[in-house]
Amino acid sequence: MSLVLVIGVIAGCSNKETSGESKNGKKVDLKIWSFTDELKEPIKKFEEKNGVKVELTIVPIADYPTKLKPVLESGVGAPDVFTGEIAFLKQWVDAGYWENLSEKPYNVDELSDNYVPYVFDLGKDQDGNVRALSWQTTPGGLYYKRSIAKEVLGTDDPDTVGEMLSSMDKVFEVAEKMKEKGYRMFPDEGSIRWFSQGDNPKPWVNENNEIQLTEQKIAFLDTAKKLRENNYTALAPEWSPSWFEAMDKPIKVKEGGKETETQVFSYVLPTWGLHSVLKTNVEESEGDWAVTNGPSPYFWGGTWLGVYNKSKNKELAYDFVKMMTQDDEFLTDWAKETGDVLSYLPVTNEIKDDFSDEFLGGQNNYQFFLEQAKSIEPGIVTKYDQQLDTFYGNAVQEYVDGKKSKEEAIKEFYKKVQNAYPDLKVPNK
Amino acid sequence: MNKLNRYGYIFVAPFWIIFLVFSIYPVVLTFYYSFTNYSGSGTAEVVGLANYKRLITDTYFVEAFFNTWKIWGINFALQITIALILAAVFSDMRVKMKGLAFFRSIFYLPNLITVSSVALLFGILLDWQHGSLNMVLIKIGLISEPINWLNEPTTAQLSVSLILTWMWFGHSFIVVMAGVSGISRDYYEAALIDGASRVQTFFHITLPLLKPILLYIMITSLIGGLQLFDLPMLLTDGIGSPEGSLNTMVLYLYNQAFKYSNYGYASAVAYGLFVITIIFSAIVFKSMYRNERKQARQV
Repeated sequence: MSLVLVIGVIAGCSNKETSGESKNGKKVDLKIWSFTDELKEPIKKFEEKNGVKVELTIVPIADYPTKLKPVLESGVGAPDVFTGEIAFLKQWVDAGYWENLSEKPYNVDELSDNYVPYVFDLGKDQDGNVRALSWQTTPGGLYYKRSIAKEVLGTDDPDTVGEMLSSMDKVFEVAEKMKEKGYRMFPDEGSIRWFSQGDNPKPWVNENNEIQLTEQKIAFLDTAKKLRENNYTALAPEWSPSWFEAMDKPIKVKEGGKETETQVFSYVLPTWGLHSVLKTNVEESEGDWAVTNGPSPYFWGGTWLGVYNKSKNKELAYDFVKMMTQDDEFLTDWAKETGDVLSYLPVTNEIKDDFSDEFLGGQNNYQFFLEQAKSIEPGIVTKYDQQLDTFYGNAVQEYVDGKKSKEEAIKEFYKKVQNAYPDLKVPNK
Repeated sequence: MNKLNRYGYIFVAPFWIIFLVFSIYPVVLTFYYSFTNYSGSGTAEVVGLANYKRLITDTYFVEAFFNTWKIWGINFALQITIALILAAVFSDMRVKMKGLAFFRSIFYLPNLITVSSVALLFGILLDWQHGSLNMVLIKIGLISEPINWLNEPTTAQLSVSLILTWMWFGHSFIVVMAGVSGISRDYYEAALIDGASRVQTFFHITLPLLKPILLYIMITSLIGGLQLFDLPMLLTDGIGSPEGSLNTMVLYLYNQAFKYSNYGYASAVAYGLFVITIIFSAIVFKSMYRNERKQARQV
């Protein structure tokens, strides 16, 4: 849900637009649908290179699946290439709307070694055929402020700080130190949800359609509550105005009848958090940031793209996919311009060594994220994730707020799951 | 003669074609889907009355039903009260308020803002830690701890009701004013001469004569209110948080269809909503007219 929101925010300004040329009756060679304006620049380059006309339709993410589905089902006015976001990727690769890229003439399996493994694997359908590729990888990190780290922890070196945060217990130790000096570890309790899997990542739903609420996930209820009870957060919920404000400035927290001014130490965000969230909201503390690891690796979001299987122009369509995912020259420029962390290893191997970001005080975030990407387990993604995460997030919130006991919160979670997905099996408790 | 008739059909054809394709066909199709387990793609399997059986026992739907009524009820009571008070003030023969056109536009303005902007605006105003509302309330000493408006079921529902009132009282006011200006001035002059007080004039002249207008406002507002969707969808997480208190019937329908892909069941929810709307519109209509007939007999 949160992801939908942020993409909504990012896409909000672009809204739904269809390029004007097509309305003037000019011939369009290729139609592309996506949910952000991210592809605008690549399309321009593609048009110049091939001398073709491409029409990009942008549909805000909230409506994207609903609008795209009927078009793909009927084939009327359908795009030749369309992107898919991680939230509905699983559903779509299995639905067979995307062309099977494992077959001739594409044979992308031959390229499998060129990609970050989890990214390549997520584009496969249930039979192991590749349906979609992605140019990016989106492992997560923990962005923190160097000045605060230096003052409280005595160092701002990402590796040393990462070592101090390598388990949940250690995170709490750091949080306590932050509190003593008048800082808050995280903006809100939701920040640590990406670490809720702990050392035992399991998909939400197993092959027998059973819900898997691991011990680690249940323990997360207490972890979140501990954050709140010890005042380790600034009570600024993700994507709320105060959440954004706290990135750059001290904020006021009202609790226990008094108001205190504090600063937030860290934000838990993935690769894209840097260029689409932090950089766009931070001015004063530019250069004072760094990124390191949390207690466990995670990934958040990601865009895949593929060729529509009923497209009449598959060759050109695949050319575009190829440019986005396999073109050394294009991808090198793309990475340098946008800071996007790529999943295409031939290019990342070239550029990772001398990459550095001013915003992060010159840190080489590329190498860090590529390292993180290696420990990501693709098998835990299911088509239910987005909704189940929301349901469980609500359960955690109600427990943290003291509205429900742990048992009640879990029971309510199971009830919601059963209501939304009657086919899933929940434990009888 | 025959020729003329044929032209008639041609002229009404566009309406009928559009009506059949965009209104009747979906309505019929939804009815069919409500007996299937359609999931949005693939084939639909007929499951008989299973969806309707589930609907009757679905605690979330019942919850949504009561939530919708609570939110709409508070909003309507406030909205109509404000509209009537304003109408009484503006139609008073002794006060002779000026600037009706000006105020009418001012009151109506909130209705012109798109709901998404309204939701965004109030999301910021009602923010727990940094919202202006809490800041003001703390400054004037009404509360000491900030209230998390959108995180408590009661305050969240109340917030939605009040926002709806703010958006719609201007609309009701305009309609009520139209009704008031249709009442003959003679009644008021007579009342004035007879020495009736303002309150008496309002309750014995204005209100009874406004009954048809009030009925109209009530039924349109009821039908709109039962379809309450956008504000609850946008103010919190879109699935009815906190604690399901903003889960309204249409929001539930939307989530079942587009988020959980239970199109079959969502169709049954849609028909449940349809039946509920008909029943309550009929009740409102009946009760208003029965009173009128009773009064007619008294006179």
